[in-house]
Amino acid sequence: MECRVGFLGSTNQVPKNNMVGRTLGFLLFERLHSILHCLRYLLLAPAAHRGLAMVFVKAQKSRSYFKRFQVKFKRRRQGKTDYRARIRLINQDKNKYNTPKFRYVVRFTNKDITAQVISATIAGDIVLAAAYSHELPHYGLKVGLTNYAAAYCTGLLLARRVLKKLEMDDEYQGNVEATGEDYSVEPAESRRPFRALLDVGLLRTTTGNRVFGALKGALDGGLDIPHSEKRFAGFNKDGKSLDADVHRKYIYGGHVATYMNTLNEDEPEKYQTHFSEYIKAGVEPDSLEELYKKVHAAIRADPNPKKSEKQQPKEHKRYNLKKLTYDERKQKLIERLNALNAAAGANDDDSDEDDE
Amino acid sequence: MPAGHGLRSRTRDLFARGFRKKGTIHLSTYLRNYHVGDYVDIKVNGAVHKGMPHKFYHGRTGQVWNVTKRAIGVEMNKQVGNRIIKKRIHVRIEHVMPSRCTEEFKQRVKKNDQLKAEAKAKGVVISTKRQPLGPKPGFMVEGTTLETVTPIPYDVVNDLKGGY
Repeated sequence: MECRVGFLGSTNQVPKNNMVGRTLGFLLFERLHSILHCLRYLLLAPAAHRGLAMVFVKAQKSRSYFKRFQVKFKRRRQGKTDYRARIRLINQDKNKYNTPKFRYVVRFTNKDITAQVISATIAGDIVLAAAYSHELPHYGLKVGLTNYAAAYCTGLLLARRVLKKLEMDDEYQGNVEATGEDYSVEPAESRRPFRALLDVGLLRTTTGNRVFGALKGALDGGLDIPHSEKRFAGFNKDGKSLDADVHRKYIYGGHVATYMNTLNEDEPEKYQTHFSEYIKAGVEPDSLEELYKKVHAAIRADPNPKKSEKQQPKEHKRYNLKKLTYDERKQKLIERLNALNAAAGANDDDSDEDDE
Repeated sequence: MPAGHGLRSRTRDLFARGFRKKGTIHLSTYLRNYHVGDYVDIKVNGAVHKGMPHKFYHGRTGQVWNVTKRAIGVEMNKQVGNRIIKKRIHVRIEHVMPSRCTEEFKQRVKKNDQLKAEAKAKGVVISTKRQPLGPKPGFMVEGTTLETVTPIPYDVVNDLKGGY
C-alpha cells in the first residue's frame, strides 16, 4: 500500500520508494528541523494525517494550548521545592540588610541523610556546612544509616561542624549527655548562639519523624533552632507532654534494639535476612546504646570532614547524553531512514534505496 | 449606578499579572536590599494585596527614605493642583524594583573619572562633556542616472476600458 503523506500544508516531493504504511506511518520530508515538532503531533493529529483508517482521535492539546501554557518553576516541576515555605524561610527583614538568614536543611534519601546549613543569595544558595550520614562510618557507625539515631548523629555532626567553623565550639557545647528532654541553648557571654530555621522540605511532619531526630541532634550540638517538643518521638498527644525516656530510647536506637530482640525470638530466619548487615558488622541489640554513645563522643572529639584518599578522575563521568550538533542529527536521521527503507524493501522485495 | 471611585477603581488591567507570569513570585524580589537614597521604581504586583500603593504611583520612580521589616518608604513627586508636592508612601517589597535611571549616569561618571586620571597622568587637557550629535557629514551621491519624467497626453480610447 502506497501512501503519500503531506504534512501541515508543507509541499513535499512524492517519495521515490514505496513505503508500507505502518501503524504510525513513516514520513519522508526535507525540512529536518521540524522533525520533532511533527512527530509529537503524530499522536495528536487527526487520523487523516496517518494515511490509514483509524479511530477518530480528537486533538486534545491544540497549538493554542501550548502557546498559553505557563510552566511552573523548574524546581516545582521537579517536585523538589515548596516555594510557599521557601519564601517564608528566606525572607529577611529589610532593615537587617545583608545579614544572612540561615536554614537548617534536612533531607532523606533511601540510603542517606543530608543535613546542611544554607543561606540564600540571588546568585544561588550558599552552603555553610554539610553533614551526611554516609560519613558516620568514620565515627564508628557502620549500619542503620537512615534511622532516627543516625539522624540524631548527623544533626549533631553538622552542629559541631558549624560551630567549629565559626569558632564557637568551646562556648557552646550543647547537651553532651543526650537525655531526650527538651533542651535549648543558653546564650553565652560573648556571642549569641548560632541561629538557623529548620527546613523540612516536602516532608509530612508527624510526631516521631526522623527529621526531628536530626533537629534534636543539632539542638544538642549547640545550635539555636526555634522548635517545639510536640513532634519529637515520645510526645504524648493525650497528656500533651514529651516522655523524655521514650525519646532517649529512640536517640540511642532503643526502638531498633527492641525489634531486633523480638524478631530474634519469634522469627529467627527473618532476623537473619532483615538485620544481615548488623550481624555482619557484629552489632548486637544490647550493644546499640553503647555504640551510639561512642559515636556521639567521636563526633564531638573531631567533627572535621575527612578528606578521601581517592583522586578525582581527570575527566568526569558523563551522566547525561551529549547534545548532538545539527549535522549529527541530520546524519542520524538519514541513517535511520536508510535502515527503515532497507527493511521495508526487504519485506516488499522492492529495493529502491534512497539516500534522501 | 454611578461610577465608583474606590481605591482600586479602574485597575483591572493595571494591576493584572502579565501573560504567563502568574503564580509564585520569584525569590529575588525578596532577596534584594534597599538603602536610603536608592532610586526605586514602583510596579504593583496584583498577587500581593498587602502594602499596595495607590494606582497613581504605579510606574513612578522615587528615592528610598525609610526601610522597615517588610516594606520600603519611597518619596516621589505628585502634582496637586498648581504645584508639585513630595509625597512619602510605604510600599511592600513586592511592589518595588531597583531603578536603572541612574545606571547610565553612574557608568559615565566612572568612565570620566578614569579618562581624567589618564589624561592627568599624560598631562593632556581633555573635555569629558557629552556632545550632541551634529549634522551628518556631506557625501557625494554616486551611481545615479537621470530619468526625465514627462506627462503623457490623455488617451480617451484606452482609459475608458469598456465602461462608460
